Amino acid sequence: MKPFDPVTLAVPMFIVLVIAEMLFVRATGRGRFEVRDTATSLLMGFGSTIIGALFAFVFVGFARMIQPYALFHIGWSIPAVVICFLLDDLRYYWWHRASHRVRWLWADHVNHHSSQHYNLSTALRQPWFGVLALPGLLFLAPLVLIGFPLEMIAFVHGLNLVYQFWIHTEAIDRFPRWFEAVMNTPSHHRVHHAINACYLDANYAGVLIIWDRMFGTFVPETREDPPRYGIVSQIASFNPLRVATHGWVSLASDLAKSKSSKEFVLYLLAPPGWSPDGSRETSDSIKARWAEFRAAQSPAE
Amino acid sequence: MNAQVLQLLISVGGIAVMVALCWAIFGHATSPLPDADELAGKLARDIPGFRAGKVGLSRDARSALAEDLRDGSVYLALVLGDGVVTRKLSRGLGVARHGEHLKLRFKDFTLNSADLDLSDAESWEIKLKGLAA
Repeated sequence: MKPFDPVTLAVPMFIVLVIAEMLFVRATGRGRFEVRDTATSLLMGFGSTIIGALFAFVFVGFARMIQPYALFHIGWSIPAVVICFLLDDLRYYWWHRASHRVRWLWADHVNHHSSQHYNLSTALRQPWFGVLALPGLLFLAPLVLIGFPLEMIAFVHGLNLVYQFWIHTEAIDRFPRWFEAVMNTPSHHRVHHAINACYLDANYAGVLIIWDRMFGTFVPETREDPPRYGIVSQIASFNPLRVATHGWVSLASDLAKSKSSKEFVLYLLAPPGWSPDGSRETSDSIKARWAEFRAAQSPAE
Repeated sequence: MNAQVLQLLISVGGIAVMVALCWAIFGHATSPLPDADELAGKLARDIPGFRAGKVGLSRDARSALAEDLRDGSVYLALVLGDGVVTRKLSRGLGVARHGEHLKLRFKDFTLNSADLDLSDAESWEIKLKGLAA
């Protein structure tokens, strides 16, 4: 069986759906578009595709390097593809969670969250320098070491990414409860992109939201707290080059300032916002302050 | 023409069409900052515990300074497209005033400087230089 690249095939569908969403938003007011934000997101997606293709050899090389140590040699079959898809989705959950909790990975992933808008073009706002986020390679290893063919891993991961495209929208409110219970949906993913303190560090799922429910990171969207999107310190530029590099420049600047090897390592591996003197805010400190503020506002019953 | 070149061409053409359509449908005007009360409300939503003190809105309604009564810190708010970017002002900030024009400089990769025309620029300058020291 010769696999195909689901993302490549989906590109025309992405274009059609973004245009359809613009028309829908215009007609209903459910959602927001801003032309420079949209252009930036689309150019980020384009650049990510080009640069990703140029550096794909790093990922392929790493996978080929560890492949001889695989436990099994799994062939192409429908059950194998289904199991690979499920395990890849679990792998995605942990990679995604780490990408929000480890500064080195966040330096790359922050690009995807840098828009203050949440529409289908935001789905295409992808980082350019994933190759620098080296610890991300570790998350690829388990599937290779189990023995799934590399083409199968690439195929199911492509399906995963295509699924995630359509959930980047405010045009869809909620699905029936059974669907919202199992699948990642626009409502769940709006929470993930929100900067409201109560929504920070939640809903890391790719396709199945069950992973967040299992590992304690699920937060439902509520009507009382409509999501506001972006990053805690909003990026002040529509320039794709600045968007693509701002996380890396910020990390490099901090690493250059580190006064000891311990500081250096913590700048790399501690959560975003960590600083030696605690003068900056992490998502944990923001959430703690929010909880304290809420408690002060509503006295104990 | 191979498939990859075709994919690139479709992508570039698609981006051009989508951006042109977005501009045609939604325009490209930026939204001014809301009035002082609304801006304070927005900051209170974004910054848990924020208690607005003095708010200085620039004459062009594209930037503003807002004081947090909790600790005397000052936040800058700037229009970016139809959104708002905020920064807590602290050490490392450069402040210069010419009459009612205040120029702020930052060590921030995506926000190097900000210009504000404020009726009480002098009092803001004193406050900001205190923070920057």
